[in-house]
Amino acid sequence: MITRRRFGQLSGLAAGSLFLPRVIHAAATPDIMLQIAPFTLEASPKHHIRTVAYNGQVPGPLLRMREGEEINVEVNNLSTDPEVVHWHGLFLPSAIDGAMEEGTPMIAPGESARYSFRPEPSGFRWFHTHTFAGKNLTKAQYSGLHGFLWIEPKENPGRYDREVFLALHDWGGHETGSDDGFMNPVYDFSTINGKMLGFGEPVLVKSGERVLIHVLNSSPTEVHWLALAGHSFRVVALDGNQVAQPQNVSMLRLAPAERVSALVEMNHPGTWILGEVRKHVQAAGMGMVVEYADSSGKPTWIQPESLVWNYRQFAQAATSPIAEDVSRIELAFDSKFQGHGNEELWRINGKSYPDTDEPALQEGRRYRLVMKNLSMDDHPMHLHRHTFEVRQVDGSEELSGLMKDVILVPARTTAEVEFVANHPGHTLFHCHQQDHMDRGFMMVFRYA
Amino acid sequence: MRRSARILLMAACLLCIATFARGQGNYEIQVYGADTVAPKNLMVELHSNYTVSGQTKYLGGVYPTNHQEHETLELTQGISDWAEVGFYVFTSEQSGHGVQWVGDHIRPRVRAPDRWHLPVGLSLSTEIGYQRAVYSPDTWTWEIRPIIDKTMGRWYLAFNPALERTLHGPDVNQGLGFSPAVKVSYDFTRQISGGFEYYADYGRLGSFDTLREQQQQIFAVTDLNVSPKWEINFGVGIGPTAATDHLIVKGILGRRFDWGKRSAVD
Repeated sequence: MITRRRFGQLSGLAAGSLFLPRVIHAAATPDIMLQIAPFTLEASPKHHIRTVAYNGQVPGPLLRMREGEEINVEVNNLSTDPEVVHWHGLFLPSAIDGAMEEGTPMIAPGESARYSFRPEPSGFRWFHTHTFAGKNLTKAQYSGLHGFLWIEPKENPGRYDREVFLALHDWGGHETGSDDGFMNPVYDFSTINGKMLGFGEPVLVKSGERVLIHVLNSSPTEVHWLALAGHSFRVVALDGNQVAQPQNVSMLRLAPAERVSALVEMNHPGTWILGEVRKHVQAAGMGMVVEYADSSGKPTWIQPESLVWNYRQFAQAATSPIAEDVSRIELAFDSKFQGHGNEELWRINGKSYPDTDEPALQEGRRYRLVMKNLSMDDHPMHLHRHTFEVRQVDGSEELSGLMKDVILVPARTTAEVEFVANHPGHTLFHCHQQDHMDRGFMMVFRYA
Repeated sequence: MRRSARILLMAACLLCIATFARGQGNYEIQVYGADTVAPKNLMVELHSNYTVSGQTKYLGGVYPTNHQEHETLELTQGISDWAEVGFYVFTSEQSGHGVQWVGDHIRPRVRAPDRWHLPVGLSLSTEIGYQRAVYSPDTWTWEIRPIIDKTMGRWYLAFNPALERTLHGPDVNQGLGFSPAVKVSYDFTRQISGGFEYYADYGRLGSFDTLREQQQQIFAVTDLNVSPKWEINFGVGIGPTAATDHLIVKGILGRRFDWGKRSAVD
């Protein structure tokens, strides 16, 4: 099988920054500098992780940009592997979006690249590596190469007192055979903002504050549920896009690469745990302390009894039927068995990348992706360089108003989304589980 | 004929042989994998072995093995994510002797936890038990069995270099005997694997028996991975040495029961 890395080598895409296209013109002084370099993360005094990080921190720096205002970024790759930075959720040209499958050049070890772009759309985006890990569960998304990206809207209503950015991540992955015969990564420990529960700085709040929490699931493969004991969340945005119907929920669910922005009314003074709902994941470290001013004592956790989440509550029922001018693209997901000692080879319409189809899109046309997940796994599907509207999930009525760039398609279900092809250029579509994309779960849309 | 169809046909033939068999054989014929039963799980296995062609004469008061059918109930309870304990009830059925209890064994086992990240599966089993003298002159025996296994793509390899010692019986002064077992199998499909299992008893460690006196068996086997709850294994084995039963048909049917009441948030 030709792996992504091998394919990149064959295609000459990993040739380094010498071949940067004209769109990536150098700026005299970069506004932002990102340095990719080896880094040892101390998740707790007993857990030191040798990884690779941006600017010597995990997660990487919070980058704030203004919607539509040109910004210059320089990326220095001081690691030993070719790297590329994907600007997840932005409408960027293929040459700088950050996926070699779209044509973004890799940055060779020791080399630098400069990018100049006008970020849009506004909202909570992120940046991360977009490379191949294969059997090495310390590389690519398994590493510390991820960071927050906040695109300030031109007008910010600002109905909150403060913001908190949180990244959920899993570490120490190793493959194990699951009960159903698949090989799946499992993890030794988990963190929020690079720290295990009890070892990070608490989030300090005041009674009466409205805190806007931006949560990113940067885990390479795991879905996570998050609750704040004694409080509820008012979800206002998913994947950085305001939802049609903000809702109060007791917990958040985030598939890999998903983001949730939620307001929390700080109306229950005390010292609380914000943590993974599932006991074994919180015990592995995924949690942090939220502490009110003038409060002290042992943090309290209130264990929910079930996992609750659905996309539908944030959408509206569509008022009109499916438009006739929408082009349907049927996509069936399944896997090809390669032995109990191997991961599956993942397929879209019976083909694995780089042999997958390359549907041609017509600029300005609206497309409906009908994603039939025939497999036994859930898949977080991500469309690069575009935002899509969730139209149906698991047999629901027609929905509207829920805009995302990642959607979790549960096993044996169908999800349907629509997008307008308004950003010409190669556009990658893939499962955001690192082990799945490494095993061929990708395809590229081309513009006619 | 497609390969998968051929395997299905072979499995069906083995099933027919087992169904028509009304005799007996050895007790537990299995190469151990390194994995252990999960905590709060009970594995119930029935080992059915029929000796198609074996020893036809009484030797030292021990029943002949020819046309013996052995039914062995094995119960294995998971203790932790690295320990289990197994318990065996051996029975035998044979024309002229009826159904008889043969003996019982207990088998604690530990394995290297996943967090050690070893490149191979590694575990250590020890088994002690009693069997009636009419079935084995050595009535109390002890075994220690290192287990090493490895899955590589479609291939599975397991090696059990077991050491056995008689605690009560004629061989009590014989020291440690060496009884290795090896399994090599290949995943033809997600559900069907096929391969070979090799069992031997070379005799006393440091002073092996002559080849004629050694026990050596090789089985053609298939494993059906139809569900994580079920274990199904069939095999036909030949014993080429004089001291070995010459033809045995074996089958293992296992069912996993999960006693843990885990919720989605556990």
